[in-house]
Amino acid sequence: MKLPIADGPTVRKHTAYLVREHRGTLIGLAVLHTVAAVAGLAGPWILGRLVDAVTQGTTAGYVNQVIAIGVVAVIVQAVLIRYAQKASMIFGEAVFAELREDFLETVTTLPLSTVERAGTGDLVARTTNDVNRIQHAVRFGVPRLIVAVVTILLTVVASLLTSPLVAVALFVGVPLMVVVSRWYLRRASPGYQRESAAYAALNGTITESVEGARTVDALRLGARRRARVQADLREAFAAERYTLNLRTVLFPAVDFTFVLAPVAVIVWGGYMISTGHATLGAVTTIAMYAFQLAGPVWELIFWLDEIQVAATSLARIVGVKLVDSDREAGDEVPTDEHVVARKVEYAYRAGHNVLHGIDLDLRVGERLAVVGPSGAGKSTLGRMLAGIHPPTGGSVQVGGVDLVDLPLDDLRRHVALVTQEHHVFVGSLADNLRLADETADDEQLLAALAAVDALGWVESLPEGLATGVGSGGHVLTPAQAQQVALARLVLLDPHTLILDEATSLLDPRAARHLERSLNAVLEGRTVVAIAHRLHTAHDADRVAVVDGGRITEIGPHDELVAAGGDYARLWKSWQQE
Amino acid sequence: MLVTVRPLPLPDPGTPPVTGPGALLWWLARRQWGILTVAVLLGMVTFGCQAVMPYVLGRALDEGLTEGFGAVLLGWAAVMLGIGVVQVAAAAVGHRFDIENWLRAAFTTSQLVGDTVARSGHTITDELPTGEVVSAVASDALRVGEVYAIAARFAGSLMAYAVVAGIMLSTSFQLGLVVVLGLPVVAGILAFLVKPLQQRQAAQREASGRLTTLGADTVSGLRILRGIGGEKVFTDRYRTQSQDVRRTGVRVATTQSYLDALQVLLPGLFVALVLYLGAHAAVRGEISPGQLVAFYGYAAFLSWPLQIATQTLQATTRAHVAAKKLIKVLSVVPATGATPGTSSAPPAGSVLVDDASGVELAPGRVVALVSVDPDESARIATRMGRFDDVAEAGTPVHLGGVRLADLDKDVVRERIVVAEATPHLFSGVLGEELDVRGGNLEAELMRAIMIADAHDVLDSVPDGLAGDLPEKGRSLSGGQRQRVALARAILTDPEILILIEPTSAVDAHTEARIAERLAEVRRGRTTLVVTASPLVLDHVDDVLFVEDGRVVTHGTHRELLHRPRGAHQGEQAARYRAVVGRSMDEPAATQPGEDVEGAHGTDHLTSSSPELSDASKGVS
Repeated sequence: MKLPIADGPTVRKHTAYLVREHRGTLIGLAVLHTVAAVAGLAGPWILGRLVDAVTQGTTAGYVNQVIAIGVVAVIVQAVLIRYAQKASMIFGEAVFAELREDFLETVTTLPLSTVERAGTGDLVARTTNDVNRIQHAVRFGVPRLIVAVVTILLTVVASLLTSPLVAVALFVGVPLMVVVSRWYLRRASPGYQRESAAYAALNGTITESVEGARTVDALRLGARRRARVQADLREAFAAERYTLNLRTVLFPAVDFTFVLAPVAVIVWGGYMISTGHATLGAVTTIAMYAFQLAGPVWELIFWLDEIQVAATSLARIVGVKLVDSDREAGDEVPTDEHVVARKVEYAYRAGHNVLHGIDLDLRVGERLAVVGPSGAGKSTLGRMLAGIHPPTGGSVQVGGVDLVDLPLDDLRRHVALVTQEHHVFVGSLADNLRLADETADDEQLLAALAAVDALGWVESLPEGLATGVGSGGHVLTPAQAQQVALARLVLLDPHTLILDEATSLLDPRAARHLERSLNAVLEGRTVVAIAHRLHTAHDADRVAVVDGGRITEIGPHDELVAAGGDYARLWKSWQQE
Repeated sequence: MLVTVRPLPLPDPGTPPVTGPGALLWWLARRQWGILTVAVLLGMVTFGCQAVMPYVLGRALDEGLTEGFGAVLLGWAAVMLGIGVVQVAAAAVGHRFDIENWLRAAFTTSQLVGDTVARSGHTITDELPTGEVVSAVASDALRVGEVYAIAARFAGSLMAYAVVAGIMLSTSFQLGLVVVLGLPVVAGILAFLVKPLQQRQAAQREASGRLTTLGADTVSGLRILRGIGGEKVFTDRYRTQSQDVRRTGVRVATTQSYLDALQVLLPGLFVALVLYLGAHAAVRGEISPGQLVAFYGYAAFLSWPLQIATQTLQATTRAHVAAKKLIKVLSVVPATGATPGTSSAPPAGSVLVDDASGVELAPGRVVALVSVDPDESARIATRMGRFDDVAEAGTPVHLGGVRLADLDKDVVRERIVVAEATPHLFSGVLGEELDVRGGNLEAELMRAIMIADAHDVLDSVPDGLAGDLPEKGRSLSGGQRQRVALARAILTDPEILILIEPTSAVDAHTEARIAERLAEVRRGRTTLVVTASPLVLDHVDDVLFVEDGRVVTHGTHRELLHRPRGAHQGEQAARYRAVVGRSMDEPAATQPGEDVEGAHGTDHLTSSSPELSDASKGVS
């Protein structure tokens, strides 16, 4: 299952909303930048006045006056730019912070079933790559774009004011530039995205080679890994060559426009002077404006390109908001702690049922082991029993209420699931545990750790519970991470616990010891343990054998062994004594 | 006039000097001498054209316009247009050469890093963090390339500066001197101000990096958060850090806005000074109005070459740092096979002997290795596959009497394959990833999949054998990953196959099937399996039991199970039974505290590697 990506209209709607939200600030910024840009037009104007003055004869006093105006204009422009840039960047920071915080909030409220099925890879990519990709556009792009547009418009206006007849010559190259820029911008985004994808693939290849260096050596995969790097570089080169070819068209077309413009101004301006419609100074001013326009126009094209790329990232970020809720909480309250599954069916793809009408009546306080071959549907059954996915057929109820009708906070107090997943969060070990119960004190945390046999290693940590763990901190072994996950469950203390291979990363003997001490703490709780080690089954009150999406055998260990079915055969071969 | 860029990557990246960053950068430059020279020439043409433009404009105004509309004006206009066209063409072609220079250097270094990683084995991870090696390709290689891309513009800038200085000094010595000496002062002041900005930018990048880590951390653990709660704690934490980033951003904005303002103010005042001096000179009749325009143009234009000079300086510094990091990666020496083998290979069917433990693999036997400490048996098995030549000096392993370290490494890897407890699955087409030696037919792949009982994998991967396996086999469950790795190892079909805990993450049903089929397919082929699972032990020809690093007894699994305590080596057999026994009544052999220690010591030998974990993703 893939997470949605917003379409064009949705992204535009979202952007329009952002603009509306900040209309006041945006207008203020535009005004500041406009005034700054006006001051920036002084240079060529002064030059023109001086040229005229010198040609017509003037005094040193007049020159000083004009220069003084210029100096004032430069100082005013500098001061305005100081405020305009600062305000724009602060605005960009604020909008971007709002955007990313809003995004993370949405992500953390995604429906359980979406999180379970979409996997975390795509979400991590959106949280890191996509958020980072739009930051450049929001922080710098939007302000620079405003500046560029304002500067271009004002320069044109100033030229027209100086001498409308001469200024017409400025536009001689514009059709060519517009046509080529549009041609370029349509192709640029996919081109640059292909480039970053190619480099991401190369980095991925190197990461894999490094992380799997041992396997590369053992299986003599060196030549393959080299070939993979070559292939990635070939793709990167093809992507680079494509964008290079695009630029080979764009650059000369735009550059040529700015070569043509001053030449046209001089020729046409010369004609206008000869007919008495313009002064030498006016022509000089407009010729200088023609040179000055190149900067903001290049900036405009560059940012349009960047903003297009950012828009595709924004589509992925806004897309997360489009996930529909998978359940609607009702207000029924469970009457007891009795969990019952009736005729449960589940299909990840329509028509491919993984579970075929499972009936399971969990006795309150019992310990049920679920065994069976890989792919039999054990984990899916576990998720149904924990209320993660709404079943496609049948129902799972607690105290007479469908699990998926319970508000999430209530659901967690009734049933909780721990899987093999052993992510350790960045923070202290205590932080990692308090997720389950914010109010727990250190005593309670240590008791929970003791229940999962973890006290020994926790006490030997440099700072005990306060030790920083997770990425960049003290590295917990996968087995220790599993113990932390189980300790969390002890703190959460629901009446029914689903453990899906929750001790599989411990060595068999430690796992068995852990299960025994955990059982002591969970006395009276209902525990469903999905396991591949048969000692778990041996120690349980009942054993359910799942095969092909059905429960084929269920009963106490001794009875199943005596019955001589599948389980008995398996037990014998495993036991061998 | 497209200039064809020579395809990259080059077939052979060559052998770089790793003596120092300067040597590496020079070596790269020499390898692309030709295109570097062309790029530099084109850069000089481009900048030369730009440099003379204000001069031509001034002449056009003076001579063309003052004499009225006519041939002279059109003549100067044609000259401007001509120079402009040359400049545009040179810039476009020059850009292609700049990019080619950049790519050539960057790709060559990336290739070199790729080659190093492909042959280094575990030494690379022993010596450097993964992130550092990846950033060698992701950023260092690109940084090194930048120097060669900017070289042309730098050369052009130098020339433009010289040309403009020449023209100005000859027109008006005083004014020329002000421009030529004044601008570097302005550029120097601006460059000086860049330092605090860069510091604040670095602080923001760091805060931003922490935020990204935090976001990724939250999302990676989202299943846990959604399962048991705590989302609020994490969104609050993210928000706090996000606001922290915003604040560092505001600090950057403050410095940046001053710099932006100064970038307008200083050159602006400088131009005003030039205009002031120039206008007075013009009033006195020392220079013409056109020359005044030209001076204005020079003053405005010259800040551009100065900017490029500053950029070049920064790029060179960065490249130097990057080259230093690259050298660290490129000078990694593999732990095995760093030098060619000295002995010729013994004939096929030779005995493989580990001297220290006394483990002997006789040709054609399927043998299991059992130890109280699973780490110990894994160590012995790994040793027999030669993974560290230095260490082997102390614990020699002989194949047909020849020390493994004296053999050609390729021969050892060809004949002996060790599949470790935490094998790595690579992304790619499933069929190709299974068939690492190549040349196996689909029927053979299917047979290996059957032996490893991995049929379900073909359903989990869309398109089966032709489907794509994601990085680390992430879409598979822990058990599935282990079985894929086992099928891969079986397909290498070596003379001697060593498997370490090949079935630790699979359920008993599956393990029973694999054990039987594995023993059958390796029947008559030398095989060593490190395991303590009775399901597997029951199917092997011989079981070696190791204590304190030495084989203390051996026999078939059944014989060892039933050997009386009083018999020869009966005590050892009893201890063997304690290790492999599944008796439910037998108390845990160690105290709880030690038990947990045991969990640390052995967990990488059971199913605990990251590759073999999160089974929950296996369905969908």
